[in-house]
Amino acid sequence: MALLEMKHIVKEYPNCKALNDVSLSVEPGETVAIIGPSGSGKSTLLRCVNCLVRITSGEIELDGKIFASSNPESMVGDRKGAQIADKSGNTEAQYLPEKQLKEAVCETGMVFQHFNLFPHMTCLENITYAPIKVKGIDRAKAVSRGEELLALVGLSAKRDEYPGRLSGGQKQRIAIARALAMDPDVMLFDEPTSALDPEITGEVLSVMRQLSDANTTMIVVTHEMGFAKEVADRVIFMNEGRIVEEGTPKEIFEAPKSVRLKEFLGAMLKA
Amino acid sequence: MEYFSLILPSLLRGTVISIELFVATLIFALPLGLPIALGENSKVAPVRWFCKGFVYVFRGTPLMLQLFFFYFFFPIYLNIRWNAFPVAVLTFVLNYSAYFAEIYRGGIKSIGAGQYEAAHSLGLSKWQTFKDVVLPQMTRIVIPPVSNEVITLVKDTALASCIALADLMRVAQSTVNRDGTLTAYIIAAGIYLIFTAIATVVLGKMEDRYSKYEEVA
Repeated sequence: MALLEMKHIVKEYPNCKALNDVSLSVEPGETVAIIGPSGSGKSTLLRCVNCLVRITSGEIELDGKIFASSNPESMVGDRKGAQIADKSGNTEAQYLPEKQLKEAVCETGMVFQHFNLFPHMTCLENITYAPIKVKGIDRAKAVSRGEELLALVGLSAKRDEYPGRLSGGQKQRIAIARALAMDPDVMLFDEPTSALDPEITGEVLSVMRQLSDANTTMIVVTHEMGFAKEVADRVIFMNEGRIVEEGTPKEIFEAPKSVRLKEFLGAMLKA
Repeated sequence: MEYFSLILPSLLRGTVISIELFVATLIFALPLGLPIALGENSKVAPVRWFCKGFVYVFRGTPLMLQLFFFYFFFPIYLNIRWNAFPVAVLTFVLNYSAYFAEIYRGGIKSIGAGQYEAAHSLGLSKWQTFKDVVLPQMTRIVIPPVSNEVITLVKDTALASCIALADLMRVAQSTVNRDGTLTAYIIAAGIYLIFTAIATVVLGKMEDRYSKYEEVA
């Protein structure tokens, strides 16, 4: 069974349709890369998975549990799926109540383009804060798990440093460790190397490759075509709020079908 | 020299009152600014209006006017006699909490959306996000502007002399009036300077302590 099932997702903003009937299903252990020009809705789609963006209509099922749906035949917790209009006229799908939704969010780990580490916490504190305070894990356990994760991303020596003293690549590796510390079912990467100097993207990508090899379920929004080609099990090409083409890296990069994808790949190669 | 030692004790008694007013204002106004700052951003419209109105009125009118207003308000309308000291504390607390609220509001605003997104993604509650992510970062950001206000407060305490509080300013003034020499003013100036020097040092130490995690350039 799919770990993540997104059906007919629509996200409307007052003057644009960011996602227009997007369906995506991700199997456990799969690494999915989402590529596409900027403004194509890839980040928005990713953000729907951890509720940073709330969908207008469609259905999202994570781990066999529907947490948002506009389909009246589906059950969202003990409520029927529906489209709900708020006072300012925006509509959104029926979501689980706050507390249960939080549990769903905790099954996802997000890595941001700009890291978003907590600058006033040391690296270890960044990693252990949520496990201790949100999951209620025993401090000693969280710390030893945190140290394992620091070793995994190759930054054991930075345990007690503040993020301000790290390079961009190191910050991003800490951010990956922080997301992993919650033991999420799926890791979401939102352009994790776009804010990095080209020569240090490698250290972040190699950590991600390691995770992918260890069968971590990952969805990666990226401009790194090399990474998508070599690491992803499946590549999805988005344009103007829709999935235009999807397939294995081989199919996408060596035998693109749609004109738009051909154009996009052509432009990426030239760059 | 003899004159100096003659007037110094009364000036020092005035200094103690000034310090008491200073400390009492900070103890109440520093924390009170925070709920007002949050209220200004509240989703509940009446709360927002009240807090914005409060800040508008207390920042937009002279502190001296506020002092006179409260000094006469209680006896005239409520028929209660209040001493000058509690009236001064009340007025200073209201006035300064409005200033602190604006500083805090700016501090909260300067925390990037990314911090809230990270907190959301890790499942933090609103309260945890505020207490452990926003507040500590805000504290560091607001220390310099708060320090500025604190130094201003040292000198603003002198305004309380206008409602006959026997603070350093008032004592110095009456001494000068009585003796016809400016010595008392000079001594008072020296005391205020010592006062601001101490405040500057203490606040600088606090700034250092809170900036330990700042980006290294």
